[in-house]
Amino acid sequence: MNARILLIEDKAGLLDTLKSLLELHNYTVYTASNGQEGLSLATRYLPDLVISDITMPVVNGYVLLDSFRADPQLSKIPVLIASAKNEAHEIELVMQKGAAGYLTKPFVFTHLHEEIKRLLGNSITASKE
Amino acid sequence: MNSTNSSGSDTLLSNASNVIAITAHEFKTPLATINSIVDLLTSKLQADHLMDAFYQKNLSQISSEIFALNSMVDEMLTINNILNGNIQSNKEMMDIGSLLPSLKEQYRAFPDDGRSLVIHITGTPREIFASPAQLLRIFSNLISNAFKYSRNNDPLMHLDYQDKTVVVTITDDGIGIPEADLPQLFQPYFRGSNTDGISGTGLGLSIVRSFITANEGTITVNSQPDKGTVFTVTFRYPDTCQ
Repeated sequence: MNARILLIEDKAGLLDTLKSLLELHNYTVYTASNGQEGLSLATRYLPDLVISDITMPVVNGYVLLDSFRADPQLSKIPVLIASAKNEAHEIELVMQKGAAGYLTKPFVFTHLHEEIKRLLGNSITASKE
Repeated sequence: MNSTNSSGSDTLLSNASNVIAITAHEFKTPLATINSIVDLLTSKLQADHLMDAFYQKNLSQISSEIFALNSMVDEMLTINNILNGNIQSNKEMMDIGSLLPSLKEQYRAFPDDGRSLVIHITGTPREIFASPAQLLRIFSNLISNAFKYSRNNDPLMHLDYQDKTVVVTITDDGIGIPEADLPQLFQPYFRGSNTDGISGTGLGLSIVRSFITANEGTITVNSQPDKGTVFTVTFRYPDTCQ
């Protein structure tokens, strides 16, 4: 079965392109345009990995990470943050909030794909333990 | 009256600074989208066995221009933060050698002309008290310049752990810096008189100097037009500081 990824991004153009890229690489992709939609889809589908922006309407990435950590069902799902913010204190903050990785925009797909493989590998190992 | 004017002008400056910060961040999403489209086209052409040298070269060129534009946006953001005193150093005990894998990886194949960064290390590694993120930015910028302003040989980074200081030199055999330009080299927006046709904002070395000062280091430059440039960056070990 293909690995299932939930993409949360409020910019429609980027969301569509990343969805197409991931599908081209044989991932099953769910999309949400803000953190609230993302939380709802995450609870419904329990994806293998979440890739999320930080600055989004309704529920932002910080609140999303807090909500994932507080929910026993969601807390095991790795969340990779992809954001335009590249200041060290921002990266530190989201890592403290439980993010499993951080990519700064713009990024090349090769780097995103390496992170996805690393995190999916980790979650597979974790589920076997 | 004066204090009202001063406060009004402070507010204006602060607003202008916020506009720069927000605009610079807002630039990054379209850049990310365009680059993802380039990646999507590349993946699709490869999947359909249609990729050839022509597509490869031009898609790579779009991507490298996107990252050049992104670097300019980063430089604008950084200089804006420096001018507003918003730079946090987050210093810790660190070995400059720990930055080398990241620098080596960053310049493994830059800029598609087969050259790579050569690193020499002498002496016994010792730690300094500095910000790893800012030091990475300093050396990344100097190395990027060494590649950008030279064409023939690999740039060299020499890390020399001396008795009281660690000395890092970045050497290239490029176009060099005319002597008349040297006094203004670290001023924001200054670009050398021989850099026409080479992209850049003139902010990089200004940021380098600000970060070196913030980490209590020094930087010097020796350069000869058409022969090359050597930047020397020095930091003292904390136990030797007076």
